[in-house]
Amino acid sequence: MTQTPGAVAPPPPAEPLRAAAFREGLRDMAPAVPGVFAWGLVTGVAMVQSGLTLWQALGLSAFAYAGSAQLAALPLLVGGSPVWVIFLTALMVNLRFVIYAAALRKPLGHLPWQRRLWLGYVTGDITFVIFMRRQQQAPDWPERDSYFLGLAMANWAAWHVASIAGILLAARIPLEWGLGLAGTLALVALLVPFCLRRAAAAGVVVAAIVSLLTHGWPLRTGLLAAIACGVTAALLAERFQGRRIGEGAA
Amino acid sequence: MSELWTWVAIAGVTLSTFITRAGLLLLGERVRLPAIVDQALAYAPACALAAIVVPDLAIAGGEVRLDPGNFRLLGALAAAAVYVATRSFVATIAAGMAVFTALRLLA
Repeated sequence: MTQTPGAVAPPPPAEPLRAAAFREGLRDMAPAVPGVFAWGLVTGVAMVQSGLTLWQALGLSAFAYAGSAQLAALPLLVGGSPVWVIFLTALMVNLRFVIYAAALRKPLGHLPWQRRLWLGYVTGDITFVIFMRRQQQAPDWPERDSYFLGLAMANWAAWHVASIAGILLAARIPLEWGLGLAGTLALVALLVPFCLRRAAAAGVVVAAIVSLLTHGWPLRTGLLAAIACGVTAALLAERFQGRRIGEGAA
Repeated sequence: MSELWTWVAIAGVTLSTFITRAGLLLLGERVRLPAIVDQALAYAPACALAAIVVPDLAIAGGEVRLDPGNFRLLGALAAAAVYVATRSFVATIAAGMAVFTALRLLA
């Protein structure tokens, strides 16, 4: 093995270690696979039952790889909203990943840009949580990106198998069963944990009310107004709450 | 929406995945987020989900329906309750679909 003289970076880890870290990632993801599978299945069924064609559903799932953003975009896609409204909505729903990416810069920031692009793209909610837990135990583990990839690829495989199964299955299920509702219920399961924190709950309530009041707005722009009002309300609630706590302590 | 525009929209959703997940990772540690942006980021997904989910459940045939005749809404309320009680994703969807389907068949 050759080593650049004076290099600060540690030598690249040996392949067997990387393979072992990758397998460990696959293993650590295993308990979460049934949940990911159910989520992919529901998304696949909902996409077809809401009116996307087989190829559109396959394409959306294969490329976007974002269950919640796909389901959020679905009523807009089917209802003929303009592309920029769909794009902004998907962006908003996906914003939680910006927080993950900010946290991942420290452990993964040293990698070549192509690898950062790919690891970023395959980041999932559960992948992030498990990786950060492990990262706290062993911060400077040299094979950490292989471990991350193992987690992410288990998630990726479970998701794609399930969503393709859902898409193919959906064509055989009668529309009257209303299985598209399952997609919305999946979003409810994502939404509820936010409502247990007071400031976020204030934002959710305001966004919900504004979304109903502005439903008639052209091009579904009311959706964006609802998000803006909700975020403002949550930020104000947080300020107010912080001040009250501050006063109580003083 | 025409076939072509649907594909453009699909490309847009894909782009949003890349921007949010890989954007900061590619820019690296040089970029610091202002505190207010950092806080807003934490709330935007919840608000966006609410702004999508609530009209999807509460609006039927172009009008707001917050009454017991709206089975989708009742199913979703049951699902939310089951999520709080069990924290199980599968149980949540199963309960919501069960309530919705039972009401639909009984009505």
